[in-house]
Amino acid sequence: MHSFWQLWRTTTFRLTALLIAVFVVFAVSLLGYLAYQTSIMIQRQQIQAIDREIDQLNNQYQRQGPRGLIVALQRMANRPGPGIYFVSDLSGLPIAGNVDSVPVEVLENPGTHTYRYDHDSNFEGSGGQSRGFALVKSFESPSGFRLVVGRDIVERRGFAAIIFQAFGWGVLWIIVMSVAVGLFTARSVLRRIDTVSETAGKIMRGSMSERIPVTKRNDEYDQLATNLNAMLERIEQLMQGLKEVTDNVAHDLKTPLTRLRNNVEGALRDDASKEQQRAALETTIEECDQLIRTFNALLLIARVEAGTPSGTFVDVNFAEVIADITELYEPVAEDAGISITTEVEDLPTFKANRELIGQALVNLIENAIKYAKDAKSDPTIKVSLKRNNGHVIIDVADNGPGIPQEDRERVLQRFVRLEKSRSEPGSGLGLSLVAAVARLHKGEVEILDNSPGATIRLQIPTER
Amino acid sequence: MKILLIEDDREAANYLIQALDEAGHVAHHAADGETGYAMASSMDYDILIVDRMLPRRDGLSIIESLRAEGDETPALILSALGEVDDRVTGLRAGGDDYLTKPYAFSELLARIEVLARRSAPAEAATTLTVGDLSLDRLSRNVEREGEKILLQPREFRLLEYLMKHAGQVVTRTMLLENVWDYHFDPQTNVIDVHMSRLRTKIDKGRKSALLHTIRGSGYMISA
Repeated sequence: MHSFWQLWRTTTFRLTALLIAVFVVFAVSLLGYLAYQTSIMIQRQQIQAIDREIDQLNNQYQRQGPRGLIVALQRMANRPGPGIYFVSDLSGLPIAGNVDSVPVEVLENPGTHTYRYDHDSNFEGSGGQSRGFALVKSFESPSGFRLVVGRDIVERRGFAAIIFQAFGWGVLWIIVMSVAVGLFTARSVLRRIDTVSETAGKIMRGSMSERIPVTKRNDEYDQLATNLNAMLERIEQLMQGLKEVTDNVAHDLKTPLTRLRNNVEGALRDDASKEQQRAALETTIEECDQLIRTFNALLLIARVEAGTPSGTFVDVNFAEVIADITELYEPVAEDAGISITTEVEDLPTFKANRELIGQALVNLIENAIKYAKDAKSDPTIKVSLKRNNGHVIIDVADNGPGIPQEDRERVLQRFVRLEKSRSEPGSGLGLSLVAAVARLHKGEVEILDNSPGATIRLQIPTER
Repeated sequence: MKILLIEDDREAANYLIQALDEAGHVAHHAADGETGYAMASSMDYDILIVDRMLPRRDGLSIIESLRAEGDETPALILSALGEVDDRVTGLRAGGDDYLTKPYAFSELLARIEVLARRSAPAEAATTLTVGDLSLDRLSRNVEREGEKILLQPREFRLLEYLMKHAGQVVTRTMLLENVWDYHFDPQTNVIDVHMSRLRTKIDKGRKSALLHTIRGSGYMISA
């Protein structure tokens, strides 16, 4: 469970909060503006109504004199409703109306006024409230009366208050809800992120095979998780490779180093003749060269696996590379009693690293020569090039003893040499370099049956 | 030959200088990039051997500066880096050849001798002759003792390269690089098999042999 402050610090929550703030500001200003405009409009209507009544009173006065005016006013005053009517003489003594008194400053200054007053439930609809709020116009009639006509606007005020209250609650509700939604989203996002952090933590503690769980939702987090998992897979493979290499280096390099040391020690023995010493030194150089070759192969594999810059990719005519390399090896094969045939389709050039493709092909052919030697009859190597399903396919097939199904994965790894070939020269790195070259070109190496023999297939996608 | 060796590993440098001396060359030594550059630009050398990673100034920039000044002294780059892209950057910087450490001294010697004498007229000659063997580069005719010898295209290029550097040792890797245009480490006997076929065609049944195997180094053609 996450503490509130943890959630508060998340980007999701902060963005939600920001959104809420912006929304609330907009809502408040919009509603405020609406309320303000409404109240102005209502007031204008009320003033118009008041003006109409004043006109009526004036008419009465002109037709029937002061008496008519007072009668008309009292009639209006007796009507139920929020109307306020008041008439006094010049000294302020009330003559008629539905309120007991009107503030002196209202009476003495003709014009529009608003004021608070106490009233005694003299009109219906006030609900017995004792406080009122008046909007009135006062004026002096020509015959020496002071008249006040107006409306009690407590109701209107109450209405506005209700709107504002509802509005306030609404805003509060929005804020509460959005905070809740924000916290909820933040928490669900954080929970997904936590699974990533947790997995990362486990991996850092050494459990390399941990993977980030992927849900079925296939949303952006799942895509991220899938990609991260692919990355972890690759890292684990590299780590595994490194570990194997270290183990194998220890084994496969220590052996020749020991031989080397023994040789030199032998040469240093007092009774060693000059010829013996010379022979020992020559063997030493040979051993050194073999070691250097192994090292170079290892380094090359490591660099290929790390990915060489794409600048080394040029347009390569695969048929030409095959022709070059088979021609280079043909005499060697022939001396070993092996014939090399080629079956090459005419293909356009593809972007590839020519040197490495050449080197891979050399390794494949050297490998095939080793195997073909053990063929029951008519040892043959067949190199073919074709294009299939968007892949350039180079097959090197021999008719030797073949590679057992269970060993096929293993021979592509570094330093793996099958028992049969232990006695042959070779570092056990040939095929793993081919595999690395294939990976560099986003392709792969497959070992197939040639019955009899093995076909090693290097396939490289034409589009990368 | 007068050689400038720019190499910061003192022990390797001492060994090289002594070995070059025994091979009949005069070698000067600079232990860092700046000194090396100063010596290369102030004195006349037949060849420069430049380590790629040097204190104070790296080997490639020395060669680049010299080339920018119009100094075309052949330069061989020594490097612990050996991948294709490193070789390409090295040659692009103006280096003439590239050798990866660790290397055999015989390889280095063969390469610098070929490099230093590269400008010889043999480069342009249309007919190459060694003793009674002649090779016409235009008609692609090869004759020995006036007798025509039929060669495969690759054998022709192999012989052409050897004759261009007649009297000089060429190593197996040099042959692979220059005749086949691949830079990998050959399984030693790949080239040997080709050479023995060529030898059969050139020398077999003749009074004198022209193709010589130089033990521990490579091959040489000479009368």
